[in-house]
Amino acid sequence: MYIMKIFLPVIIGSLVLCAGVVALFVIAFRWQHYRLWRLGKEEDCFHQTAERLKTLLAVVFANFRIRKEFYPGTMHWLIFWGTLLLFLGKIARLFSYPLGLTNPPQHVFLYASFVSEIGGVLVLIGGCLAVIRRYVIRPSRLETKPDNTLVFIWGAAIFITGYLIKGFRMAAVGVTVPPDWFSWAPVSYPVSRFILVLPTEPLNELLIWHRVLIHAIPALLLFAYIAASRSPLQHLFLSPLNIFFRSLKPKGALDPIHNFEDAETFGVKEISEFTWKQLLDLEACTNCGRCQDVCPAHLSEKPLSPRRMTQNLKQHLWREGPKLLSLPPEQRQPEPLMGTSVGEDELWACTTCMACEEACPVYIEQIRRNIDLRRYQVLVETKFAPEVQLTLKNMENNSNPWGIGAHLRADWAKDLGIKTLAEDPHVEYLFYIGCSGSFDDRGKKVSVAFAKILKAAGVSFGILGTEEGCCGDSAMRIGNEYLYQTMAQANIEVMKNYNVKKIIATCPHGYNAIKKDYPHFGGEFEVYHHTEIIADLIAKGKITLKKPVAGLFTYHDSCFLGRYNAIYDQPRRILEAVPGLKLTEMERNLAKSFCCGAGGARMWMDEHIGVRINNMRTDQAIATGAKTIAVGCPLCLTMFSDGIKDRKKEETMAALDIAEIVWKAMGLEEEKPAADVCAAPPA
Amino acid sequence: METFTRVIAIVVELAVLTAVFYSLFAGMTCEAFDCGLNQKYHKFIKLVMMIMGCLLLVFLVAHLIAFYPRLPINV
Repeated sequence: MYIMKIFLPVIIGSLVLCAGVVALFVIAFRWQHYRLWRLGKEEDCFHQTAERLKTLLAVVFANFRIRKEFYPGTMHWLIFWGTLLLFLGKIARLFSYPLGLTNPPQHVFLYASFVSEIGGVLVLIGGCLAVIRRYVIRPSRLETKPDNTLVFIWGAAIFITGYLIKGFRMAAVGVTVPPDWFSWAPVSYPVSRFILVLPTEPLNELLIWHRVLIHAIPALLLFAYIAASRSPLQHLFLSPLNIFFRSLKPKGALDPIHNFEDAETFGVKEISEFTWKQLLDLEACTNCGRCQDVCPAHLSEKPLSPRRMTQNLKQHLWREGPKLLSLPPEQRQPEPLMGTSVGEDELWACTTCMACEEACPVYIEQIRRNIDLRRYQVLVETKFAPEVQLTLKNMENNSNPWGIGAHLRADWAKDLGIKTLAEDPHVEYLFYIGCSGSFDDRGKKVSVAFAKILKAAGVSFGILGTEEGCCGDSAMRIGNEYLYQTMAQANIEVMKNYNVKKIIATCPHGYNAIKKDYPHFGGEFEVYHHTEIIADLIAKGKITLKKPVAGLFTYHDSCFLGRYNAIYDQPRRILEAVPGLKLTEMERNLAKSFCCGAGGARMWMDEHIGVRINNMRTDQAIATGAKTIAVGCPLCLTMFSDGIKDRKKEETMAALDIAEIVWKAMGLEEEKPAADVCAAPPA
Repeated sequence: METFTRVIAIVVELAVLTAVFYSLFAGMTCEAFDCGLNQKYHKFIKLVMMIMGCLLLVFLVAHLIAFYPRLPINV
């Protein structure tokens, strides 16, 4: 009965202190987080609640994005589920005492005991895995701060004292402990066999009090610490919040600037120019470093690490946010982000490949933030690399990054008998060529090959000819939103004039821009990538691949096709349909594909720091033993062609677009000789 | 044998108690800086915590030696 006497005050005390911790949490949340987020601009993240809730539950309870990596995923799963079981068992046990379920022990109490014991074991195993990883394996992406060590020690102390209390209680009860308690307390019961007890009941009662206080007070203080500090354990509530409020826009779609005439500034210069959700993103970053491990800029020794950038911006928010809030808006002099928390080379190193966002377990948006920062640099400060200046000028003057005369845009098609929409607007598809397919010699061969496939399949299509303009993706990714919008609106106007409904693009950048960004300006079209069309033509038997194209091929997933638009199967289905072709995969493939280095308008910038990304990706392709790299993007094609030259593999290796491979496999070239379609892959 | 067991038990208790009090002190330190305390006080706070920790350790050793049960293992 003395146990009841002890635990009633513990229950009352816990309830009172829990209320105190909850109050502290509310005050600290408002003071440390909510008011800082309120510094940011408005953003509507409250729609589609059911969808948000579904994702939240899936990530929190199934750990589905976290489990992508086996070791940290298992570790997190053990700690999460262990803690949950422990809490459930603990609460049930605590309230079993006043409800009289403990003497004699009722099923609820026994099961609660078992659940909490197993939960504790799971947490201890997960915790050990975490300690081994952080202090023994020490992956470069993990940054260990005093806070990290503290939570390990604190957590371990609480768990061990928990088992000691229970063990001591059983030891104090002595021989009257039911013999089946080993089944219900598989850890505490053996512990109890080794615990020394005092000779009298009052003394043991005193010792239990000692142990309860030594366990319960640090546990409650840990909750208080999590609530009120900047501990990494704040991810317990910040990560779920960020997952709930995640962007539900199409993947990679960027918000346009709507008010060019009225706006005083563009993009983001200082911390309060981010939206509140972008500020929540910063705070929700758990510093896990998964983004860093997949970032091509970081891996190629550029000064960008998405993890570090987010952490630096978080520190900036914590440092500058309270200062800004302490002054009336008109007296605020915010510190600029560039040059303090973000470096120029760091910002411009981003290829917008979205590998970081794909890897992030809590849906942090890096690309949008980087583009916002670039927009300010380009549109307000006009600070960017000189070669970019030339690219933008070429886009302005000739609607292509090379500055080749716009009147030459349709020259690639002059011998193919392809009609423009001006000649025949009643076609099913508009074949949107894009700049590479129109002006780049290598890209033109892809356009020719694909046009021939369409013609052979009897597809009704036309082109815009010289009326076509650059899609504007590069300008948008550089941050020149004004130029992008000008080009996008011009294209949309032309397309709408011809009542275009369906568009095919061979370039994933144009495909993505027309599909996801043009709708902001009224350009609603059905957009297809040429690999989708080819796969469909093969499936419907409209084209037959009869000529063997022997050799070992590897397919490179373009970022804008794969991660941005989830087109992974169609290119592989096409390649598998080619007779004689053997397909092998690179280590980094599908959603984990490694960027070729051309995205984010990096195609038009010099790569003067670190290793060239295209060479790294070419090395990964070479490692497969493949003789041909198949791609579905003209920019990737250029980057691989350069990589193959740099690695002096021109004699034995080639990069080909899927359309070129298919056209070759159709075996129609000999029957109807036309332009030099594609370089044959070496045997 | 009994004395030896008691020493082991005291060492284990001491390790657990040290971890608990380390956590509380380190938590207080981190919290103080998170709440905006200037970093220039870091060394001073660390020194104070270390002195308090040493005093506490002496107390815990004395307390456990004086009051820890002297009975044999309860098997």
